Amino acid sequence: MVEANVEMLEDEPQYKEFAIEEFLVRSEPYYRAVGDELELFEAAYEQHIPVLLKGPTGCGKTRFVEYMAWKLGRPITTVRQEGQDMGEGEVRVPLVTIACHEDLTASDLVGRYLLDAQGTRWIDGPMTRAVKAGAILYLDEVVEARKDTTVLIHPLTDHRRILPVEKTGNIIEADDRFLLCISYNPHYQSALKDLKHSTRQRFISIEFDYPPVDVEAEIVAKESGCSDEEAHALARLGDKIRNLREHGLAEGASTRLLIYAGRLMTQGISARRACQVAIVWTLSDEAELQRSIEEVVYSIFE
Amino acid sequence: MTNPVSGDFLAELGKLPPAVTEAYEAVAAAMGDSFSDEELALWAKEGVSIGAQTVRSWESAVEYYRVSPEVARSLAFASFMQWARCGTYLSQDSPTLAVAFFKASPSIVTNLRPQYIPRWAGLGRSLYKGTWKSSTLAARFFEVSPDLVRNLPFWDVEVFASLIEALSYKSYDVAAECLVLGRDVLPGMGREREAFLSMSRALTDSSWREVKSCLEMAPRALQHVEEGQTGRFLRLGEKLAKMGLRDTSRFLYDGAQALAHVSAGSQGHILDLCEGLLATTPDAVPPFLKSLDPVLNRITLPQLDQWYEHGVQLLNDNPESGIAFFKIESNTSEALLETLSSSLELERVKGIMRLYTRALSGANIEVLSTAELVRKQIGWVDQDTASTDGTKVYLPPMVDNYNDKAQNFAWFKVVATHQVSHLEFGSFQFDFTTPANVFDDRRFAMEEAIQARMEAIRTATAEHFRLQDADVGPAVEPADGPGGTMRVFTDIGRFLSLFEDRRMVFDLFSVLEDCRLDYRIKTEYPGIRRPALDVQDSALAYRPRIEELPLQEALIELLVRMSLDRFDGLPVPQEYREEALMLARIMHRLRTVRASIEDTGEAALRAYEIISRLQNEQQPEDEYQPEDLDDPGEFSEEEYEALLDKLQAAMNDQQGEQGDGDPYESPEPVEYRGDFKPEMVQLLTKLQMDQSQMGDAEPMTQEELEQLLQDSAELELDAQEGDVDQSMAMFAQNIMKEAGVPPPSNDPGRGYGPILHDDDAGGELEALEPKTYVYDEWDFRANDYKPRWCVVKEKVLDEGDHNFYNDSLRNYASLLAHIKRQFELIMPETWRKTYRLIDGEDIDLNAALEAWADLRMNVPPDEKIYWRRNRVQRNVAVVFLLDMSASTAEAIDEGRHSVDDRDAPDDPVEYMVWLRRRREGLVRRHYKRIIDLERESCALLINALESIGDTYGIYGFSGYGRENVEFYVIKDIEEQFNDKIKRRIDKVTPLHATRMGSAIRHAITKLENQDAATKILFLISDGRPQDRGYSREGVEKEYAVHDTHQALLEARRKEINPFCLTVDKAGHDYLKTMCGDLNYEVLDDIWALPERLPMLYRSLTM
Repeated sequence: MVEANVEMLEDEPQYKEFAIEEFLVRSEPYYRAVGDELELFEAAYEQHIPVLLKGPTGCGKTRFVEYMAWKLGRPITTVRQEGQDMGEGEVRVPLVTIACHEDLTASDLVGRYLLDAQGTRWIDGPMTRAVKAGAILYLDEVVEARKDTTVLIHPLTDHRRILPVEKTGNIIEADDRFLLCISYNPHYQSALKDLKHSTRQRFISIEFDYPPVDVEAEIVAKESGCSDEEAHALARLGDKIRNLREHGLAEGASTRLLIYAGRLMTQGISARRACQVAIVWTLSDEAELQRSIEEVVYSIFE
Repeated sequence: MTNPVSGDFLAELGKLPPAVTEAYEAVAAAMGDSFSDEELALWAKEGVSIGAQTVRSWESAVEYYRVSPEVARSLAFASFMQWARCGTYLSQDSPTLAVAFFKASPSIVTNLRPQYIPRWAGLGRSLYKGTWKSSTLAARFFEVSPDLVRNLPFWDVEVFASLIEALSYKSYDVAAECLVLGRDVLPGMGREREAFLSMSRALTDSSWREVKSCLEMAPRALQHVEEGQTGRFLRLGEKLAKMGLRDTSRFLYDGAQALAHVSAGSQGHILDLCEGLLATTPDAVPPFLKSLDPVLNRITLPQLDQWYEHGVQLLNDNPESGIAFFKIESNTSEALLETLSSSLELERVKGIMRLYTRALSGANIEVLSTAELVRKQIGWVDQDTASTDGTKVYLPPMVDNYNDKAQNFAWFKVVATHQVSHLEFGSFQFDFTTPANVFDDRRFAMEEAIQARMEAIRTATAEHFRLQDADVGPAVEPADGPGGTMRVFTDIGRFLSLFEDRRMVFDLFSVLEDCRLDYRIKTEYPGIRRPALDVQDSALAYRPRIEELPLQEALIELLVRMSLDRFDGLPVPQEYREEALMLARIMHRLRTVRASIEDTGEAALRAYEIISRLQNEQQPEDEYQPEDLDDPGEFSEEEYEALLDKLQAAMNDQQGEQGDGDPYESPEPVEYRGDFKPEMVQLLTKLQMDQSQMGDAEPMTQEELEQLLQDSAELELDAQEGDVDQSMAMFAQNIMKEAGVPPPSNDPGRGYGPILHDDDAGGELEALEPKTYVYDEWDFRANDYKPRWCVVKEKVLDEGDHNFYNDSLRNYASLLAHIKRQFELIMPETWRKTYRLIDGEDIDLNAALEAWADLRMNVPPDEKIYWRRNRVQRNVAVVFLLDMSASTAEAIDEGRHSVDDRDAPDDPVEYMVWLRRRREGLVRRHYKRIIDLERESCALLINALESIGDTYGIYGFSGYGRENVEFYVIKDIEEQFNDKIKRRIDKVTPLHATRMGSAIRHAITKLENQDAATKILFLISDGRPQDRGYSREGVEKEYAVHDTHQALLEARRKEINPFCLTVDKAGHDYLKTMCGDLNYEVLDDIWALPERLPMLYRSLTM
């Protein structure tokens, strides 16, 4: 459930373990702002307004939240040395990310009693921990979650900012730094998977879309390490393919896919082949559509 | 029993060898059963006379007596005696014959009509020529006769016998062999026997040995030939045989082999072709058939026609080369095959090209064949040249420029990319007032200068008139000069009208723009660079020699070459080297990504200023020196002005000295770049725009348009080609039609004046009759509802025949099965594990642990600790709204659904599926309307919905005016499915207009009363909403679209999910407004509707 930003250390095993609410985004994630989303999010954070991130797959929603967590907690990450305690007046903004799925229930989020040798023990769920720790709680693809989760979201997202824990009979008032942030992809065609208005209207919505060609080229170059020229070509390709949305393609090529293609290219895979495996075949199974996209690839790449 | 036999007889009998008597005695008693005494006497006597014929005819007599009882059983006495007498005659000629005759008789008389017996005997006799060999043959004939007669009609036997006789003149052995072969082969041949026999007959004269081979070959060969065509095929062979063809068996074999490879149904066509050849050059038929197989491996049947035609032409010129052609022994033939087999039809790659161009341009582009553009008659005339009109890309129907399919495809791509680049890089966005990027703007000053000059002329003319006759009316405007007011209608027109020679400036504009685009393509799409270079190279090969052109044209040709990326070794006239260099600099300046269409304009302006100041005269050949112009240096405005001054001075010097040189001719077109008609595109766009915002500006009249067309340089070019000269009026009308401008009204004085909306008058309506409902309507300008504005009349649709429903299900049987399977798959998904139940299948571990923990904590535990698989109630209610407007009567373009075999898959299983699909395709090949597909989809949908048990209603809507919104019930949401509903579907027909908003509102009412968790409103339309008075002050479309949008939002607010499916390809533009962020889909391929609709519904509710 936690997307760990793993740091590579030479001698230690190559992973790090964090308590969920203690996970901090330590190194600066790369994020390229396209509009005023940074200011908006910061303002919302200060004002305790929950945020809804709307946008297609792979356009940078998750990265954005990571970046914001890092940015908002920045005073500590720059000052604090390894093992050093927090200084006075510093802020830490942990990030709790939960990818929602259709079996995710309210008690998965809030917590439950467990049995142990001595008797029973209450274990806080990730949401409770986030509320207590004052983290940014990011519910990814929230429409996928079970409907009973909305019961939890509502009191947390209005002026009360409380989390009632039914089992223990407690009510937790959220830490001042707590913020709920959800993401939502409006391109689903299923009528059953839609966000209710009563839920939606508790958030401000920041719309994400794929960035303009030049910006995307910059992102692709930075993220994949391919040359500027290749990155630009990839960004152009992305732009062209997105023109096919609603012409048979459910979703356009995401920035993430473009980056994948770029990464393959840095490993010496030919551009055409990289695009084929990373983009063409990923996007569609339909022969004609594949061929059409391939022709666009062949036009852009030699 | 009395002995009928006289003593005389016994004496006669006694003269013969005793074997005869024995034979007689053996059967005499038995014969008594069949014959009377008198008859018996005659019978017995005949035997003796047989035996008495020759020395050895007693053998015949023995045989005669032996078979008599059997024969007598089948024949009446008279016939019997006739038979016996035949034997006698045969015996007279040859006892062997008679023996064979008698031997065969018992089995033959049962099958042969008695009157044929003498003829049969005659057949055998005719084979006997008095020789030993011939008697053997004849005997052989009698031997095989029973089989022949049993299996063939007698006349065929006769023909066959005469064939054998004819053969026997050549060789008895062959004849005998054929006889036996014929016995085995002929019966199986069925109705084609006659043809085969006459063919064989024809063969005996020319090449008799062939008959045997043919007989041997026939059964195997003919089984490849379609039943109905065998006769024709054999008759073909016969005719050839008659004309002296030697290798008929070869022909049979090859021909049948070739036909075997032709798909069923096409063999007739091949035979047509053969018969065509037969009429002119019969010798060509066998090679043609022989080549057919290899040829058809390479090209398709329609292409075969082309190949054939070519061969026929050759035959007419020179039979020998024609035959070589059909043998594929000539280069022409091979080359043609090569071309045909590698050629690529647009139809096959249209889908790919469409998506490709859409991806590149981001616009909703259609790819069409140029043939369609020419048909529209709006100014494009050349079928082989690609073009675009801003929303559609036209490509030639077929490419055969290369001997390789891949290369031909690449050509398509290069051409399409070039056409799309007009859109992508803004060729049609020319704006007179937008400043250029890489050049200084000279056109503004130029326009001012011209206007000043015009003003001067006008004043002068006015002055002139005043002086001449002060009393005569107002000043007459000088006739048609540059800068005529009409040209200002489009920006391009405004620019081009600055120049005296519009054609030259337009040519320059095109060349320079193409150069700019090709450069952009090369930088933006490096992947296409190589094929583009190939295409450019082959275009270069067709360019005329610069040295042979007069100066102006030579310089423009120089530009064309450079635009094709050829800069080195260009012949430059030394006297005009400076001008050529300047032109090259101008062009090079355009070769940057910064250059815009306005830059092209400025470049054209400069090039024109230079070239137009030169004499269009042929330069001596030695004037030309090859030069490299790839780096002519930077363009500078100062140098350009200096050059211009120099030229102007030279021109002034020359004034009056000599003529103007040759008249200016446009350069040869570069094929792959196609037609570039920016003015026409801007004109169309503008007309369409005016149409949609009618009322703002005075729209153009047809007269004005005609005038405009007359002035257009683009059209001038075509007019020269001859087609469009006189019909400017028709032309203008077509353009207006294309732009969607309504035809001129008959009502005099009204013209294109704003349409009056009488509906706006009047106020609220009342629902007076039963089953009528009143709804508000949204007025987007007032931003408010018009209260009680529309009356919806709900009617149950009449019942028709239920066959339509059943036929639909049958016609789409395979699709239906597929859909049903998909819908049934929904069912298991509704079986979910439900946790935390009081009882169930098993203990829910999580819940149990929690309960245990609670117990330990002394908290009352939850007793719900079981889980069970529970059927989650699928609770969906849906209303389908079918558009029954008049426009659904439109016939669907079937051309693109032509059935061909080219794409037939190799895998047998796939092939069967493909074949079935194709058949379904064939079934629907007759005239079909949009509504028919809607109805069929409806039938399929009902079938699918019934299988999952959703609550659903199906309604049609139409109407005229706000007081008559018709809402037809096909299946009411409360109604159970029954036969009536099947019959109602039959009555779904195109009616009137589409006032969508009110229909949607009524559907909402229907759904509102439903108690379902998920409610869906599914709208199926074929175009924009339209109705009388669904419009105010010329903003018709806007009003209707906004009202519909509002109605959909109302649905949304009532927790109903609306979904719009439209089959209108142009739907993207207004659907965005109409549906906002609600879901919609534009179905590109209307044929896909029956398949798409149920699937879409499925994915919506999952």
